[in-house]
Amino acid sequence: MGLTNSEIQQLAAVNLSKPETPQELLDQRGFWVTNADALYNWARTGSMWPVTFGLACCAIEMMHAGAARYDLDRFGVMFRPSPRQSDVMIVAGTLTNKMAPPLRKIWDQMPEPKWAISMGSCANGGGYYHYSYAVVRGCDRIIPVDVYVPGCPPTAEALIYGILQLQEKIRRTNTIAR
Amino acid sequence: MNERYEALSAAISARFGTALSSVSSHCGELTWEVDKTDLIRVVTALRDEDEFRFEMLVDVCGIDYLSYGQAEWQTDEATSTGFSRAAVPVNIVPDADTTFEPRRFAVVYHLLSISRNWRVRLRVFPGIENPPVVPSVVDVWAGANWFEREAFDLFGIQFEGHPDLRRILTDYGFIGHPFRKDFPVVGNVETRYDPDQGRVIYQPVSIEPRTLVPKVIRTDNRYASELKDEPEHE
Repeated sequence: MGLTNSEIQQLAAVNLSKPETPQELLDQRGFWVTNADALYNWARTGSMWPVTFGLACCAIEMMHAGAARYDLDRFGVMFRPSPRQSDVMIVAGTLTNKMAPPLRKIWDQMPEPKWAISMGSCANGGGYYHYSYAVVRGCDRIIPVDVYVPGCPPTAEALIYGILQLQEKIRRTNTIAR
Repeated sequence: MNERYEALSAAISARFGTALSSVSSHCGELTWEVDKTDLIRVVTALRDEDEFRFEMLVDVCGIDYLSYGQAEWQTDEATSTGFSRAAVPVNIVPDADTTFEPRRFAVVYHLLSISRNWRVRLRVFPGIENPPVVPSVVDVWAGANWFEREAFDLFGIQFEGHPDLRRILTDYGFIGHPFRKDFPVVGNVETRYDPDQGRVIYQPVSIEPRTLVPKVIRTDNRYASELKDEPEHE
């Protein structure tokens, strides 16, 4: 290893300074050390792809969240046209009895791991249509729900907050049992 | 009612005579009651004849008059007795299985003449038979197809001669006609996912019906009397 004096001095200076960011750590050592759970959760929270599935007016707010102003792409959230490619289902709107079997079918077609966000009063518990003959009184009667976003409809900010809450929930999950 | 509508009203009276009976209206709108045996003849004439030219059928809808004119919340006594929050539910007595009250159901047609800028409303009573039947106007206006399917779905009114009279809105295999006044608002069944069977199942409805917004019929002076039609029957 024919290092010049100046190069040796540079390396020594780098080793002396305490790394402050992951990038500095990477620059100094060339690798990171982490545990597999954190790695999995980092990957999962960073690319939550919801299935493009809107039922009512909440879907309009969901579109707002995905469009230019709020831009869910910043969070790695990109709507997918197929349940086979999706990690998250955002139940955005009134779930009717007629729609319940298709909703469950789409949910069953999504590969594990998968999560569900219930968006708006109707999906949370029937909402305005709780006493209707045609509406499911909460989409958690059909699929297991991770995060409930209240509102009628929730704003795009509220939906993004719900997505961030789901990210928090995923970070708390230990995939590899100890 | 302006002069144009008075002229139209006179023309309709002269053309159809006793086949149509005018219903009083103070809103400047024309409503006619048609016997269901005359319906096809009348609407064909209204569409084709040069003095009417109702090319367009705007809407077909059903009506259930079962609890018509009965309020669920009496507000007249509010100042003397205290303002009750309790709704008084209308006592609904279902009809006998075989026949209905003669003016229980109605079908209403809204017609528009684009060339003459006229609107007319027609009302037909299916009568006492169960199920209620009126002739279909699909052959006169093709746009009536889905309107009549909707009225069939929600009120159970059958349209004789309709090419494809299926339910259009309610669930597959739905039982009953939800816009009938004797249909419970919460329905009879609800859905949930059954993990044992691995599919969405139906079960009897688990909640009690509840009046959230009582039906209130105002009689005070906020609503000028000339805007109101008197109830046709009690």
